[in-house]
Amino acid sequence: MTNCFQLRWPTRSGLPPFAPVLSVGVVVALLAWSAPVAEVNAGHLYASIPRLIDFLRNILVMPDWKYLPQLGQKMLETLEMTFLATSIAAVISLPLSFLAARNTCPFPALFHGVRALLSLVRALPEMVWALVFVSAIGLGPLPGIMALAFVTVGFMTKFFAEAIEVVDQRAVEGVAAHGAGWLQVKIFAHLPQAWPDFIGAIMYILDHNLRGATLLGLVGAGGIGYDMIMSMRLFDYNRILVIAVAIYIVVTALDRVSDQFRARVI
Amino acid sequence: MKKISFHAVEKRYPNGFHALRGVSLEIEAGSFTVILGPSGAGKSTLLRLVNGLETPTAGHVAFGPTAPSRSSLRGIRSGIGMVFQQFNLVGRLSVMTNVLTGRLAHRSWLGSIFYLFRREDIAIAREALERVGLVDKAWERADRLSGGQQQRVGIARALAQRPQIILADEPVASLDPVSSDDVMQLLRGICDRDGITVLVNLHQVEHARRYADRVIGLNSGQVVFDGAPGQLDSISLNRIYHRDGAPHDELFSAALAYA
Repeated sequence: MTNCFQLRWPTRSGLPPFAPVLSVGVVVALLAWSAPVAEVNAGHLYASIPRLIDFLRNILVMPDWKYLPQLGQKMLETLEMTFLATSIAAVISLPLSFLAARNTCPFPALFHGVRALLSLVRALPEMVWALVFVSAIGLGPLPGIMALAFVTVGFMTKFFAEAIEVVDQRAVEGVAAHGAGWLQVKIFAHLPQAWPDFIGAIMYILDHNLRGATLLGLVGAGGIGYDMIMSMRLFDYNRILVIAVAIYIVVTALDRVSDQFRARVI
Repeated sequence: MKKISFHAVEKRYPNGFHALRGVSLEIEAGSFTVILGPSGAGKSTLLRLVNGLETPTAGHVAFGPTAPSRSSLRGIRSGIGMVFQQFNLVGRLSVMTNVLTGRLAHRSWLGSIFYLFRREDIAIAREALERVGLVDKAWERADRLSGGQQQRVGIARALAQRPQIILADEPVASLDPVSSDDVMQLLRGICDRDGITVLVNLHQVEHARRYADRVIGLNSGQVVFDGAPGQLDSISLNRIYHRDGAPHDELFSAALAYA
């Protein structure tokens, strides 16, 4: 026996464990099988390199400075949509989450009903809901805000409910033992304990919604996305770069602000 | 004042653990009663039955004329304060707010939504904090306080409720000896000055001897001792702390002698 055979896996037989090997094998097989379906083709990718370079050369042009005021206005609209949709969703999610948490919902049937409703709302992405609302109430930011708020309720309530489910049960008992009513226990024991997690969820969702709001314009539901798709179609390359940079700056700024805020709350 | 009565109370938990086996007791109003017993003897269960945190499997517990039920629960709890081993405060709320939660039973849910309290509630809470000597900590977060201080906040919360009974479930088990004495003296003072019935679970025989009017010994869910603290001799302690199958070696007797 040479040294290299002294290596063994930490299992009874020294052979690699069966379950992980099988899972990796299945994943690799699935990838190999699905690659042609998704038209993943190394040759095609290689052939596209000149076109990619061409696009990059087009995009790195002198920015369209005259576009800046309109960009600012559109960016502001996008931000407003984000904040409005997130706030509306928070107001709805806060009470709803107590019915979606196993430990605070008074009736098991209601809990299952609320959870089922939430997954229905979450099942389709914002873009699809935006299409629905655009066809129902017309173009503009309003259907965008509604679509965003709608999906956000689905996510936020789930996040909130999960935060409620892990609160310290001893403090809950401490408040309940002194004769507090159902709602009073929720407000004085569950809410303060779940609060930091709520803030965290809101900050994460705000970030997510800002990126969601930039896309909603693609289906005519307001925000910067509309300008983006139009300049793409009209080959206005000198605008695309400005828009991309503006989105990057706003997303990063929001990220920083939310980090600061979160650190202060906890 | 009402007394607490237990009539042939049985408690069996869903996991099969038989916590109480036919306990019948009467606790006089305004008395200071200490319950002793090894871990798992059913001390906590006995206490938690009084304010309906647990429901008996058979028999019944009554505080005055009413037994705890779903509809009378809040009314009963409004007259019973509770002090916990782990304090059970809401750590993120201020000391004042924690004490004010003792007032919730007397207030409607409407004001509670906005964390609003009446002036008189604040005055009662402040008075309770004065009793436990923590007025200067009123606006600090509860989880910033030491264990002994947190337990005194727990007592202030029970006091703010203006209860007829205070239940204390091993109130000094997580405290150092000096804080333990503070807490026991506070509880004894509350019993003497306010005439509140105090029912305490303890592990410390010495505390029972010093503070109790009456000592009840529990072992495996049955009352094995009931009498004045002066009657606690080594024979009765042996009976209280006896464990099935464990021989009474010298070490065990020695430990009890010092207890």
